[in-house]
Amino acid sequence: MAGDLAAAVHAEALKLRRSRVPWATAAAMVLAALVGAFFMFVLQDVGRARALGLLGAKAQLAGGTADWPGYFSLAAQTVAVGGLLVFGTAAIWLFGREFSDRTATDLLAVPTSRTAVVLAKLLLGLAWCALLTVLLVALVLVLGALLGLPGWSAATAARGTGTVLGTGLLTAGLAASYGLAASVGRGYLPAVGVLFLTVLLAQVLAAVGHGEWFPWAVPALLAGAAGPGRADVGWAGPAGVVLVALGSAAATALWWERADHSA
Amino acid sequence: MTAPALRLQGVSKHYGPVRAVHAVDLTVGTGEVYALLGLNGAGKTTLMRMVLGMVRPGAGSIAVLGRGPRERPTRAQVGYLVAAAAAYPELTVRENLEVARRLRRVPTPAAVPDAVELFGLGEYADRRARDLSQGNRQRLALARAMLHRPSLLVLDEPVNGLDPAGVAEVRTLLGDLAREHGTTVLLSSHLLGEVARLATRIGVLHRGRLLEEFPARALPQRVRHHLELTTRDDDRAVAVLAAAGFPAHLRAGAVVLTGERAVRRPEDVATALVRGGVAPTGLTVVREDLEGYFLRLVRPPSGRAEAPGPPERPRGR
Repeated sequence: MAGDLAAAVHAEALKLRRSRVPWATAAAMVLAALVGAFFMFVLQDVGRARALGLLGAKAQLAGGTADWPGYFSLAAQTVAVGGLLVFGTAAIWLFGREFSDRTATDLLAVPTSRTAVVLAKLLLGLAWCALLTVLLVALVLVLGALLGLPGWSAATAARGTGTVLGTGLLTAGLAASYGLAASVGRGYLPAVGVLFLTVLLAQVLAAVGHGEWFPWAVPALLAGAAGPGRADVGWAGPAGVVLVALGSAAATALWWERADHSA
Repeated sequence: MTAPALRLQGVSKHYGPVRAVHAVDLTVGTGEVYALLGLNGAGKTTLMRMVLGMVRPGAGSIAVLGRGPRERPTRAQVGYLVAAAAAYPELTVRENLEVARRLRRVPTPAAVPDAVELFGLGEYADRRARDLSQGNRQRLALARAMLHRPSLLVLDEPVNGLDPAGVAEVRTLLGDLAREHGTTVLLSSHLLGEVARLATRIGVLHRGRLLEEFPARALPQRVRHHLELTTRDDDRAVAVLAAAGFPAHLRAGAVVLTGERAVRRPEDVATALVRGGVAPTGLTVVREDLEGYFLRLVRPPSGRAEAPGPPERPRGR
Protein backbone atom coordinates (compact mmCIF):
# COMPACT_ATOMS: atom_id res chain seq x y z
CA MET A 1 0.00 0.00 0.00
CA ALA A 2 2.87 2.40 0.82
CA GLY A 3 4.31 1.89 -2.66
CA ASP A 4 0.88 2.43 -4.19
CA LEU A 5 0.40 5.60 -2.20
CA ALA A 6 3.82 6.96 -3.16
CA ALA A 7 3.09 6.25 -6.84
CA ALA A 8 -0.34 7.86 -6.63
CA VAL A 9 0.96 10.91 -4.72
CA HIS A 10 3.65 11.43 -7.35
CA ALA A 11 1.14 11.21 -10.18
CA GLU A 12 -1.39 13.46 -8.44
CA ALA A 13 1.29 16.02 -7.49
CA LEU A 14 2.35 16.28 -11.12
CA LYS A 15 -1.26 16.84 -12.19
CA LEU A 16 -1.80 19.46 -9.48
CA ARG A 17 1.48 21.24 -10.24
CA ARG A 18 0.67 21.60 -13.92
CA SER A 19 -2.86 22.87 -13.31
CA ARG A 20 -4.09 26.40 -12.64
CA VAL A 21 -5.66 25.35 -9.34
CA PRO A 22 -2.63 26.13 -7.11
CA TRP A 23 -2.29 29.60 -8.63
CA ALA A 24 -6.01 30.38 -8.54
CA THR A 25 -6.45 29.25 -4.92
CA ALA A 26 -3.25 31.01 -3.78
CA ALA A 27 -4.45 34.17 -5.52
CA ALA A 28 -7.77 33.87 -3.66
CA MET A 29 -5.87 33.68 -0.35
CA VAL A 30 -3.68 36.67 -1.21
CA LEU A 31 -6.81 38.61 -2.11
CA ALA A 32 -8.44 37.60 1.18
CA ALA A 33 -5.39 38.81 3.15
CA LEU A 34 -5.30 42.10 1.20
CA VAL A 35 -9.02 42.71 1.74
CA GLY A 36 -8.56 42.03 5.46
CA ALA A 37 -5.63 44.44 5.52
CA PHE A 38 -7.73 47.04 3.73
CA PHE A 39 -10.45 46.73 6.41
CA MET A 40 -7.81 47.12 9.11
CA PHE A 41 -6.46 50.18 7.31
CA VAL A 42 -9.95 51.67 7.18
CA LEU A 43 -10.66 50.87 10.81
CA GLN A 44 -7.39 52.44 11.91
CA ASP A 45 -8.81 55.87 11.11
CA VAL A 46 -12.45 56.42 12.07
CA GLY A 47 -12.73 59.52 9.90
CA ARG A 48 -11.59 57.64 6.84
CA ALA A 49 -13.96 54.80 7.72
CA ARG A 50 -16.90 57.21 7.91
CA ALA A 51 -15.86 58.79 4.63
CA LEU A 52 -16.07 55.36 3.00
CA GLY A 53 -19.66 54.97 4.24
CA LEU A 54 -21.16 51.52 3.73
CA LEU A 55 -17.82 49.79 3.21
CA GLY A 56 -16.61 51.16 6.53
CA ALA A 57 -19.72 49.89 8.30
CA LYS A 58 -19.25 46.38 6.86
CA ALA A 59 -15.61 46.37 7.93
CA GLN A 60 -16.67 47.24 11.45
CA LEU A 61 -19.13 44.35 11.49
CA ALA A 62 -16.71 41.78 10.15
CA GLY A 63 -13.40 42.67 11.68
CA GLY A 64 -14.18 44.52 14.83
CA THR A 65 -11.23 46.58 15.85
CA ALA A 66 -8.05 47.53 14.02
CA ASP A 67 -5.58 45.57 16.09
CA TRP A 68 -3.80 42.23 15.95
CA PRO A 69 -6.58 40.18 17.63
CA GLY A 70 -9.07 41.80 15.23
CA TYR A 71 -6.99 41.02 12.14
CA PHE A 72 -6.42 37.42 13.24
CA SER A 73 -10.13 37.03 13.93
CA LEU A 74 -10.99 38.41 10.50
CA ALA A 75 -8.46 36.02 8.90
CA ALA A 76 -9.94 33.05 10.76
CA GLN A 77 -13.44 33.97 9.60
CA THR A 78 -12.14 34.38 6.06
CA VAL A 79 -10.69 30.85 6.17
CA ALA A 80 -13.90 29.47 7.65
CA VAL A 81 -16.27 30.93 5.06
CA GLY A 82 -14.08 31.82 2.05
CA GLY A 83 -11.92 28.79 2.73
CA LEU A 84 -14.89 26.50 2.38
CA LEU A 85 -15.33 27.85 -1.14
CA VAL A 86 -11.61 27.83 -2.02
CA PHE A 87 -10.74 24.48 -0.42
CA GLY A 88 -14.00 23.02 -1.69
CA THR A 89 -13.16 24.12 -5.21
CA ALA A 90 -9.75 22.45 -4.96
CA ALA A 91 -11.34 19.19 -3.74
CA ILE A 92 -13.96 19.32 -6.48
CA TRP A 93 -11.23 19.81 -9.07
CA LEU A 94 -9.10 16.96 -7.71
CA PHE A 95 -11.91 14.44 -8.14
CA GLY A 96 -14.25 16.02 -10.66
CA ARG A 97 -11.57 16.58 -13.30
CA GLU A 98 -11.15 12.83 -13.75
CA PHE A 99 -14.73 12.67 -15.02
CA SER A 100 -14.78 15.95 -16.92
CA ASP A 101 -11.50 15.09 -18.67
CA ARG A 102 -12.71 11.49 -19.03
CA THR A 103 -9.52 10.19 -17.46
CA ALA A 104 -11.22 8.29 -14.62
CA THR A 105 -11.12 5.00 -16.54
CA ASP A 106 -7.32 5.25 -16.62
CA LEU A 107 -7.29 5.02 -12.82
CA LEU A 108 -9.65 2.10 -12.46
CA ALA A 109 -7.80 -0.97 -13.71
CA VAL A 110 -4.17 -0.25 -12.90
CA PRO A 111 -2.02 -2.05 -10.33
CA THR A 112 -2.08 1.02 -8.06
CA SER A 113 -5.17 0.55 -5.93
CA ARG A 114 -8.11 2.91 -6.29
CA THR A 115 -8.00 3.52 -2.55
CA ALA A 116 -4.40 4.72 -2.87
CA VAL A 117 -5.45 7.10 -5.65
CA VAL A 118 -8.29 8.49 -3.51
CA LEU A 119 -6.02 8.78 -0.48
CA ALA A 120 -3.36 10.56 -2.55
CA LYS A 121 -5.92 13.09 -3.77
CA LEU A 122 -7.19 13.69 -0.24
CA LEU A 123 -3.69 14.01 1.23
CA LEU A 124 -2.60 16.40 -1.50
CA GLY A 125 -5.77 18.42 -1.05
CA LEU A 126 -5.23 18.57 2.70
CA ALA A 127 -1.57 19.54 2.27
CA TRP A 128 -2.43 22.25 -0.23
CA CYS A 129 -5.19 23.67 1.99
CA ALA A 130 -2.74 23.68 4.92
CA LEU A 131 -0.19 25.53 2.77
CA LEU A 132 -2.82 28.06 1.74
CA THR A 133 -3.70 28.65 5.39
CA VAL A 134 -0.02 29.08 6.25
CA LEU A 135 0.24 31.54 3.35
CA LEU A 136 -2.67 33.51 4.77
CA VAL A 137 -1.08 33.58 8.25
CA ALA A 138 2.23 34.74 6.77
CA LEU A 139 0.49 37.49 4.80
CA VAL A 140 -1.47 38.56 7.90
CA LEU A 141 1.77 38.81 9.87
CA VAL A 142 3.52 40.84 7.16
CA LEU A 143 0.56 43.11 6.33
CA GLY A 144 -0.31 43.61 10.01
CA ALA A 145 3.29 44.63 10.68
CA LEU A 146 3.26 47.01 7.68
CA LEU A 147 0.02 48.58 8.96
CA GLY A 148 1.57 48.92 12.43
CA LEU A 149 -1.43 47.34 14.14
CA PRO A 150 -1.50 47.70 17.93
CA GLY A 151 -1.94 44.85 20.43
CA TRP A 152 1.00 42.65 19.38
CA SER A 153 2.31 40.12 21.84
CA ALA A 154 3.77 36.68 21.46
CA ALA A 155 0.71 35.20 23.17
CA THR A 156 -1.68 37.10 20.87
CA ALA A 157 0.28 36.01 17.80
CA ALA A 158 0.36 32.37 18.96
CA ARG A 159 -3.37 32.38 19.79
CA GLY A 160 -4.28 34.15 16.54
CA THR A 161 -2.07 31.91 14.40
CA GLY A 162 -3.43 28.83 16.15
CA THR A 163 -7.03 29.93 15.55
CA VAL A 164 -6.44 30.57 11.85
CA LEU A 165 -4.54 27.31 11.36
CA GLY A 166 -7.08 25.31 13.37
CA THR A 167 -9.96 26.84 11.43
CA GLY A 168 -8.11 26.12 8.19
CA LEU A 169 -7.58 22.50 9.18
CA LEU A 170 -11.24 21.99 10.08
CA THR A 171 -12.34 23.65 6.85
CA ALA A 172 -9.90 21.51 4.84
CA GLY A 173 -11.39 18.43 6.49
CA LEU A 174 -14.87 19.47 5.43
CA ALA A 175 -13.65 19.88 1.85
CA ALA A 176 -13.39 16.07 1.66
CA SER A 177 -17.19 16.01 1.43
CA TYR A 178 -17.00 17.85 -1.89
CA GLY A 179 -14.54 15.28 -3.22
CA LEU A 180 -17.19 12.66 -2.44
CA ALA A 181 -19.86 14.75 -4.17
CA ALA A 182 -17.66 15.20 -7.26
CA SER A 183 -17.04 11.43 -7.37
CA VAL A 184 -20.62 10.30 -6.92
CA GLY A 185 -21.83 13.10 -9.20
CA ARG A 186 -19.12 12.16 -11.72
CA GLY A 187 -18.05 15.71 -12.44
CA TYR A 188 -17.87 19.29 -11.25
CA LEU A 189 -21.44 20.51 -11.42
CA PRO A 190 -23.23 18.34 -8.83
CA ALA A 191 -20.39 19.00 -6.37
CA VAL A 192 -20.54 22.75 -6.95
CA GLY A 193 -24.26 22.51 -6.16
CA VAL A 194 -23.48 20.70 -2.91
CA LEU A 195 -20.84 23.31 -2.08
CA PHE A 196 -23.25 26.21 -2.47
CA LEU A 197 -25.98 24.34 -0.62
CA THR A 198 -23.76 23.64 2.40
CA VAL A 199 -22.46 27.23 2.50
CA LEU A 200 -26.03 28.51 2.36
CA LEU A 201 -27.28 26.09 5.02
CA ALA A 202 -24.31 26.94 7.23
CA GLN A 203 -25.26 30.62 7.09
CA VAL A 204 -28.93 29.99 7.78
CA LEU A 205 -28.39 27.48 10.60
CA ALA A 206 -25.72 29.66 12.23
CA ALA A 207 -28.08 32.63 12.04
CA VAL A 208 -30.90 30.75 13.79
CA GLY A 209 -28.56 29.46 16.49
CA HIS A 210 -28.22 25.80 15.48
CA GLY A 211 -24.90 26.07 13.67
CA GLU A 212 -23.03 23.83 16.10
CA TRP A 213 -25.09 20.87 14.85
CA PHE A 214 -24.20 21.51 11.23
CA PRO A 215 -20.50 20.65 10.73
CA TRP A 216 -20.08 23.01 7.76
CA ALA A 217 -20.99 25.95 10.06
CA VAL A 218 -18.67 24.96 12.89
CA PRO A 219 -15.35 26.48 11.66
CA ALA A 220 -17.03 29.86 11.17
CA LEU A 221 -18.58 29.70 14.64
CA LEU A 222 -15.24 28.75 16.18
CA ALA A 223 -13.62 31.64 14.32
CA GLY A 224 -16.12 34.01 15.93
CA ALA A 225 -18.12 34.83 12.81
CA ALA A 226 -21.35 34.84 14.83
CA GLY A 227 -19.79 36.88 17.63
CA PRO A 228 -17.39 35.95 20.41
CA GLY A 229 -20.26 34.74 22.60
CA ARG A 230 -21.20 32.07 20.07
CA ALA A 231 -17.68 30.67 19.57
CA ASP A 232 -18.16 27.92 22.15
CA VAL A 233 -19.64 25.06 20.16
CA GLY A 234 -18.85 22.35 22.70
CA TRP A 235 -17.35 19.01 21.74
CA ALA A 236 -20.10 18.11 19.28
CA GLY A 237 -19.07 20.79 16.79
CA PRO A 238 -15.46 19.71 16.12
CA ALA A 239 -16.48 16.06 16.51
CA GLY A 240 -19.03 16.54 13.74
CA VAL A 241 -16.38 18.09 11.49
CA VAL A 242 -14.01 15.19 12.10
CA LEU A 243 -16.84 12.75 11.44
CA VAL A 244 -17.72 14.45 8.15
CA ALA A 245 -14.05 14.54 7.08
CA LEU A 246 -13.30 10.91 7.91
CA GLY A 247 -16.71 9.69 6.78
CA SER A 248 -16.37 11.50 3.44
CA ALA A 249 -12.87 10.11 2.92
CA ALA A 250 -14.00 6.57 3.69
CA ALA A 251 -17.15 6.90 1.57
CA THR A 252 -15.13 8.29 -1.35
CA ALA A 253 -12.67 5.39 -1.19
CA LEU A 254 -15.53 2.91 -0.90
CA TRP A 255 -17.37 4.46 -3.84
CA TRP A 256 -14.29 4.31 -6.09
CA GLU A 257 -13.66 0.73 -4.99
CA ARG A 258 -17.19 -0.66 -5.16
CA ALA A 259 -19.23 1.34 -7.67
CA ASP A 260 -19.76 0.19 -11.24
CA HIS A 261 -17.69 2.47 -13.41
CA SER A 262 -19.46 2.58 -16.70
CA ALA A 263 -19.35 6.31 -17.45
CA MET B 1 -2.43 -27.14 -21.31
CA THR B 2 -2.15 -23.42 -20.67
CA ALA B 3 -5.15 -21.54 -19.36
CA PRO B 4 -6.90 -19.32 -21.89
CA ALA B 5 -6.09 -15.64 -21.63
CA LEU B 6 -9.74 -14.87 -21.12
CA ARG B 7 -12.69 -17.00 -20.11
CA LEU B 8 -16.23 -15.74 -19.56
CA GLN B 9 -18.90 -18.15 -18.42
CA GLY B 10 -22.56 -17.18 -18.37
CA VAL B 11 -21.74 -13.52 -17.88
CA SER B 12 -24.70 -11.18 -17.62
CA LYS B 13 -25.18 -7.57 -16.67
CA HIS B 14 -28.61 -6.01 -16.47
CA TYR B 15 -29.37 -2.42 -15.57
CA GLY B 16 -32.96 -2.57 -14.44
CA PRO B 17 -34.96 -3.61 -17.49
CA VAL B 18 -32.03 -2.95 -19.82
CA ARG B 19 -30.15 -6.14 -20.71
CA ALA B 20 -26.62 -4.86 -21.43
CA VAL B 21 -24.97 -8.30 -21.58
CA HIS B 22 -26.78 -11.61 -21.31
CA ALA B 23 -25.38 -15.10 -20.68
CA VAL B 24 -22.17 -14.64 -22.65
CA ASP B 25 -19.72 -17.53 -22.83
CA LEU B 26 -16.44 -16.56 -24.39
CA THR B 27 -12.94 -18.03 -24.43
CA VAL B 28 -9.94 -16.28 -25.93
CA GLY B 29 -6.70 -18.18 -26.24
CA THR B 30 -3.26 -16.74 -25.63
CA GLY B 31 -1.96 -14.81 -28.63
CA GLU B 32 -5.38 -14.54 -30.26
CA VAL B 33 -6.71 -11.28 -31.64
CA TYR B 34 -10.41 -11.49 -30.86
CA ALA B 35 -12.68 -8.86 -32.35
CA LEU B 36 -16.09 -8.08 -30.97
CA LEU B 37 -18.52 -6.74 -33.52
CA GLY B 38 -21.78 -5.13 -32.61
CA LEU B 39 -23.99 -2.14 -33.17
CA ASN B 40 -24.01 0.74 -30.70
CA GLY B 41 -25.54 -0.50 -27.46
CA ALA B 42 -24.83 -4.17 -28.30
CA GLY B 43 -22.95 -4.57 -25.00
CA LYS B 44 -19.34 -4.53 -26.27
CA THR B 45 -18.11 -1.80 -23.94
CA THR B 46 -19.94 -3.21 -20.92
CA LEU B 47 -18.38 -6.59 -21.65
CA MET B 48 -14.92 -5.03 -21.88
CA ARG B 49 -15.44 -3.10 -18.66
CA MET B 50 -16.41 -6.32 -16.90
CA VAL B 51 -13.24 -7.97 -18.21
CA LEU B 52 -11.29 -5.04 -16.76
CA GLY B 53 -13.07 -5.23 -13.40
CA MET B 54 -14.63 -1.79 -13.75
CA VAL B 55 -18.14 -3.20 -13.79
CA ARG B 56 -19.21 -6.21 -11.73
CA PRO B 57 -21.14 -8.88 -13.61
CA GLY B 58 -24.64 -9.54 -12.34
CA ALA B 59 -24.14 -13.24 -13.03
CA GLY B 60 -21.45 -15.56 -14.31
CA SER B 61 -17.72 -15.65 -13.89
CA ILE B 62 -14.74 -14.01 -15.58
CA ALA B 63 -11.16 -15.26 -15.49
CA VAL B 64 -8.48 -13.02 -16.94
CA LEU B 65 -5.07 -14.65 -17.38
CA GLY B 66 -6.29 -17.32 -14.98
CA ARG B 67 -7.30 -14.91 -12.20
CA GLY B 68 -10.08 -12.56 -11.19
CA PRO B 69 -10.14 -9.32 -13.17
CA ARG B 70 -9.72 -7.16 -10.07
CA GLU B 71 -6.68 -8.96 -8.72
CA ARG B 72 -3.48 -6.95 -8.67
CA PRO B 73 -1.34 -9.40 -10.73
CA THR B 74 -4.07 -9.38 -13.37
CA ARG B 75 -4.09 -5.61 -13.54
CA ALA B 76 -0.32 -5.55 -13.85
CA GLN B 77 -0.57 -7.62 -17.02
CA VAL B 78 -3.52 -5.96 -18.69
CA GLY B 79 -3.44 -2.84 -20.85
CA TYR B 80 -6.58 -1.14 -21.99
CA LEU B 81 -8.19 1.64 -23.88
CA VAL B 82 -11.91 1.98 -23.30
CA ALA B 83 -14.13 4.97 -23.99
CA ALA B 84 -12.55 8.05 -25.53
CA ALA B 85 -8.80 8.50 -25.92
CA ALA B 86 -8.59 10.91 -23.02
CA ALA B 87 -5.46 12.45 -21.53
CA TYR B 88 -4.67 15.05 -18.89
CA PRO B 89 -4.87 18.15 -21.07
CA GLU B 90 -2.41 20.28 -19.11
CA LEU B 91 0.27 17.58 -19.10
CA THR B 92 2.62 16.96 -21.99
CA VAL B 93 2.68 13.66 -23.85
CA ARG B 94 5.76 12.64 -21.86
CA GLU B 95 4.15 13.64 -18.55
CA ASN B 96 0.94 11.78 -19.36
CA LEU B 97 2.99 8.67 -19.99
CA GLU B 98 4.97 9.28 -16.81
CA VAL B 99 1.73 9.40 -14.79
CA ALA B 100 0.71 6.11 -16.43
CA ARG B 101 4.12 4.58 -15.70
CA ARG B 102 3.84 5.47 -12.04
CA LEU B 103 0.29 4.17 -11.67
CA ARG B 104 1.16 1.02 -13.62
CA ARG B 105 4.14 0.58 -11.28
CA VAL B 106 6.55 0.13 -14.17
CA PRO B 107 9.97 0.37 -12.54
CA THR B 108 11.99 1.37 -15.60
CA PRO B 109 11.77 5.09 -16.51
CA ALA B 110 12.96 4.13 -20.03
CA ALA B 111 9.47 2.74 -20.67
CA VAL B 112 8.28 6.30 -21.36
CA PRO B 113 10.76 7.23 -24.13
CA ASP B 114 10.38 3.73 -25.56
CA ALA B 115 6.63 4.20 -25.85
CA VAL B 116 7.11 7.69 -27.31
CA GLU B 117 9.34 6.22 -30.00
CA LEU B 118 7.20 3.15 -30.67
CA PHE B 119 4.13 5.26 -31.35
CA GLY B 120 5.90 7.96 -33.33
CA LEU B 121 5.21 10.64 -30.75
CA GLY B 122 8.78 11.98 -30.57
CA GLU B 123 7.89 15.22 -32.30
CA TYR B 124 5.07 15.84 -29.83
CA ALA B 125 6.68 14.52 -26.64
CA ASP B 126 6.79 17.94 -25.00
CA ARG B 127 3.49 19.17 -26.36
CA ARG B 128 0.53 19.46 -24.01
CA ALA B 129 -2.15 16.85 -24.63
CA ARG B 130 -4.76 19.57 -25.15
CA ASP B 131 -2.84 20.73 -28.23
CA LEU B 132 -2.69 17.30 -29.88
CA SER B 133 -4.75 16.30 -32.88
CA GLN B 134 -7.32 13.56 -32.34
CA GLY B 135 -5.10 11.07 -34.10
CA ASN B 136 -2.13 11.85 -31.87
CA ARG B 137 -4.34 11.69 -28.77
CA GLN B 138 -5.32 8.22 -29.92
CA ARG B 139 -1.64 7.33 -30.33
CA LEU B 140 -0.99 8.62 -26.82
CA ALA B 141 -3.83 6.52 -25.43
CA LEU B 142 -2.48 3.43 -27.19
CA ALA B 143 1.04 4.18 -25.96
CA ARG B 144 -0.34 4.38 -22.41
CA ALA B 145 -2.17 1.09 -22.85
CA MET B 146 0.95 -0.71 -24.04
CA LEU B 147 3.55 1.09 -21.92
CA HIS B 148 4.06 -1.95 -19.69
CA ARG B 149 4.02 -4.53 -22.51
CA PRO B 150 0.87 -6.25 -21.23
CA SER B 151 -0.09 -9.88 -21.78
CA LEU B 152 -3.68 -8.90 -22.57
CA LEU B 153 -4.79 -5.79 -24.40
CA VAL B 154 -8.41 -4.68 -24.23
CA LEU B 155 -9.06 -2.05 -26.86
CA ASP B 156 -12.40 -0.40 -27.56
CA GLU B 157 -12.31 1.16 -31.02
CA PRO B 158 -8.49 1.38 -31.07
CA VAL B 159 -8.15 3.05 -34.46
CA ASN B 160 -10.75 5.76 -33.93
CA GLY B 161 -9.52 9.07 -35.26
CA LEU B 162 -6.38 7.68 -36.86
CA ASP B 163 -5.53 8.49 -40.45
CA PRO B 164 -5.06 5.56 -42.87
CA ALA B 165 -1.31 5.45 -42.15
CA GLY B 166 -2.01 5.38 -38.42
CA VAL B 167 -4.57 2.61 -38.86
CA ALA B 168 -2.01 0.56 -40.79
CA GLU B 169 0.63 1.21 -38.10
CA VAL B 170 -1.67 0.06 -35.31
CA ARG B 171 -2.68 -2.99 -37.32
CA THR B 172 0.96 -3.93 -37.84
CA LEU B 173 1.79 -3.25 -34.20
CA LEU B 174 -1.06 -5.34 -32.80
CA GLY B 175 -0.29 -8.13 -35.25
CA ASP B 176 3.37 -8.10 -34.21
CA LEU B 177 2.48 -8.08 -30.52
CA ALA B 178 0.22 -11.08 -30.95
CA ARG B 179 2.56 -13.07 -33.19
CA GLU B 180 5.95 -12.28 -31.67
CA HIS B 181 5.12 -11.67 -28.02
CA GLY B 182 2.03 -13.82 -27.59
CA THR B 183 0.02 -10.80 -26.52
CA THR B 184 -3.70 -11.49 -26.51
CA VAL B 185 -5.90 -8.75 -27.90
CA LEU B 186 -9.61 -8.26 -27.29
CA LEU B 187 -10.85 -5.43 -29.44
CA SER B 188 -13.97 -3.86 -30.76
CA SER B 189 -14.17 -1.80 -33.89
CA HIS B 190 -16.77 -0.51 -36.25
CA LEU B 191 -14.20 -0.57 -39.07
CA LEU B 192 -15.19 -4.03 -40.18
CA GLY B 193 -12.61 -4.14 -42.94
CA GLU B 194 -9.90 -3.56 -40.35
CA VAL B 195 -11.33 -6.26 -38.12
CA ALA B 196 -11.31 -8.72 -40.99
CA ARG B 197 -7.62 -8.00 -41.62
CA LEU B 198 -6.48 -7.97 -38.02
CA ALA B 199 -8.54 -10.46 -36.02
CA THR B 200 -7.91 -14.15 -35.73
CA ARG B 201 -11.43 -14.70 -34.37
CA ILE B 202 -14.58 -12.67 -34.59
CA GLY B 203 -17.56 -12.60 -32.23
CA VAL B 204 -20.84 -10.92 -33.10
CA LEU B 205 -22.58 -9.37 -30.11
CA HIS B 206 -26.15 -8.22 -30.52
CA ARG B 207 -28.55 -7.01 -27.86
CA GLY B 208 -26.20 -8.30 -25.19
CA ARG B 209 -25.95 -11.82 -26.61
CA LEU B 210 -23.04 -13.40 -28.41
CA LEU B 211 -24.83 -14.36 -31.61
CA GLU B 212 -22.00 -16.09 -33.34
CA GLU B 213 -18.25 -16.49 -33.30
CA PHE B 214 -15.97 -17.86 -35.97
CA PRO B 215 -12.31 -17.83 -37.00
CA ALA B 216 -11.57 -14.84 -39.21
CA ARG B 217 -10.08 -17.16 -41.84
CA ALA B 218 -13.49 -18.85 -42.13
CA LEU B 219 -15.09 -15.62 -43.22
CA PRO B 220 -14.76 -16.29 -46.99
CA GLN B 221 -16.75 -19.51 -46.58
CA ARG B 222 -19.45 -17.82 -44.53
CA VAL B 223 -20.08 -14.79 -46.66
CA ARG B 224 -22.42 -14.85 -49.63
CA HIS B 225 -21.33 -14.32 -53.19
CA HIS B 226 -23.28 -13.11 -56.17
CA LEU B 227 -22.68 -12.39 -59.79
CA GLU B 228 -23.15 -8.94 -61.20
CA LEU B 229 -23.12 -8.26 -64.91
CA THR B 230 -23.97 -5.53 -67.32
CA THR B 231 -25.17 -5.80 -70.91
CA ARG B 232 -26.51 -3.45 -73.58
CA ASP B 233 -30.05 -4.76 -72.91
CA ASP B 234 -30.42 -5.86 -69.30
CA ASP B 235 -34.15 -6.73 -69.54
CA ARG B 236 -33.48 -9.10 -72.41
CA ALA B 237 -30.46 -10.52 -70.56
CA VAL B 238 -32.67 -11.42 -67.60
CA ALA B 239 -35.07 -13.26 -69.94
CA VAL B 240 -32.22 -15.07 -71.72
CA LEU B 241 -30.67 -16.13 -68.43
CA ALA B 242 -34.02 -17.36 -67.07
CA ALA B 243 -34.47 -19.48 -70.17
CA ALA B 244 -30.97 -20.91 -69.65
CA GLY B 245 -31.75 -21.84 -66.04
CA PHE B 246 -30.01 -18.91 -64.36
CA PRO B 247 -32.58 -16.91 -62.36
CA ALA B 248 -31.58 -13.24 -62.39
CA HIS B 249 -32.97 -9.86 -61.41
CA LEU B 250 -32.14 -6.23 -61.95
CA ARG B 251 -30.62 -4.19 -59.15
CA ALA B 252 -29.05 -0.75 -59.30
CA GLY B 253 -28.40 -0.85 -63.04
CA ALA B 254 -26.93 -4.35 -63.09
CA VAL B 255 -28.13 -7.88 -63.64
CA VAL B 256 -27.70 -9.82 -60.41
CA LEU B 257 -27.52 -13.60 -60.05
CA THR B 258 -27.40 -15.15 -56.59
CA GLY B 259 -27.71 -18.80 -57.54
CA GLU B 260 -24.85 -21.07 -56.48
CA ARG B 261 -24.37 -22.48 -60.00
CA ALA B 262 -23.99 -18.99 -61.47
CA VAL B 263 -21.47 -17.98 -58.84
CA ARG B 264 -19.46 -21.17 -59.25
CA ARG B 265 -19.47 -21.13 -63.06
CA PRO B 266 -19.67 -17.51 -64.31
CA GLU B 267 -18.28 -18.63 -67.66
CA ASP B 268 -21.49 -20.64 -68.29
CA VAL B 269 -23.50 -17.49 -67.63
CA ALA B 270 -21.39 -15.54 -70.12
CA THR B 271 -21.78 -18.30 -72.72
CA ALA B 272 -25.56 -18.35 -72.27
CA LEU B 273 -25.69 -14.59 -72.79
CA VAL B 274 -23.53 -14.70 -75.91
CA ARG B 275 -25.70 -17.46 -77.38
CA GLY B 276 -28.81 -15.40 -76.58
CA GLY B 277 -27.36 -12.39 -78.44
CA VAL B 278 -26.78 -10.17 -75.39
CA ALA B 279 -23.05 -10.46 -74.75
CA PRO B 280 -21.98 -9.17 -71.34
CA THR B 281 -20.10 -5.87 -71.24
CA GLY B 282 -19.00 -6.52 -67.67
CA LEU B 283 -19.09 -9.47 -65.29
CA THR B 284 -17.96 -9.60 -61.66
CA VAL B 285 -18.21 -12.15 -58.88
CA VAL B 286 -19.00 -10.00 -55.83
CA ARG B 287 -18.09 -11.28 -52.39
CA GLU B 288 -20.15 -10.05 -49.46
CA ASP B 289 -17.91 -8.09 -47.13
CA LEU B 290 -17.87 -8.39 -43.35
CA GLU B 291 -20.23 -5.46 -43.06
CA GLY B 292 -22.80 -7.17 -45.25
CA TYR B 293 -22.39 -10.42 -43.38
CA PHE B 294 -22.72 -8.65 -40.05
CA LEU B 295 -25.85 -6.76 -41.05
CA ARG B 296 -27.40 -9.95 -42.39
CA LEU B 297 -26.74 -11.65 -39.05
CA VAL B 298 -28.35 -8.96 -36.95
CA ARG B 299 -31.21 -8.27 -39.36
CA PRO B 300 -34.57 -9.89 -38.53
CA PRO B 301 -35.94 -12.46 -41.02
CA SER B 302 -38.33 -9.85 -42.49
CA GLY B 303 -35.27 -8.22 -44.00
CA ARG B 304 -36.10 -4.83 -42.57
CA ALA B 305 -33.15 -3.10 -40.89
CA GLU B 306 -33.42 -3.59 -37.16
CA ALA B 307 -33.28 -0.74 -34.70
CA PRO B 308 -29.75 -0.58 -33.30
CA GLY B 309 -29.87 -2.65 -30.16
CA PRO B 310 -31.35 -1.87 -26.76
CA PRO B 311 -31.52 1.73 -25.62
CA GLU B 312 -28.30 3.21 -24.26
CA ARG B 313 -27.92 2.53 -20.59
CA PRO B 314 -28.43 5.58 -18.44
CA ARG B 315 -25.09 7.14 -17.60
CA GLY B 316 -23.75 6.97 -14.12
CA ARG B 317 -24.78 3.41 -13.43
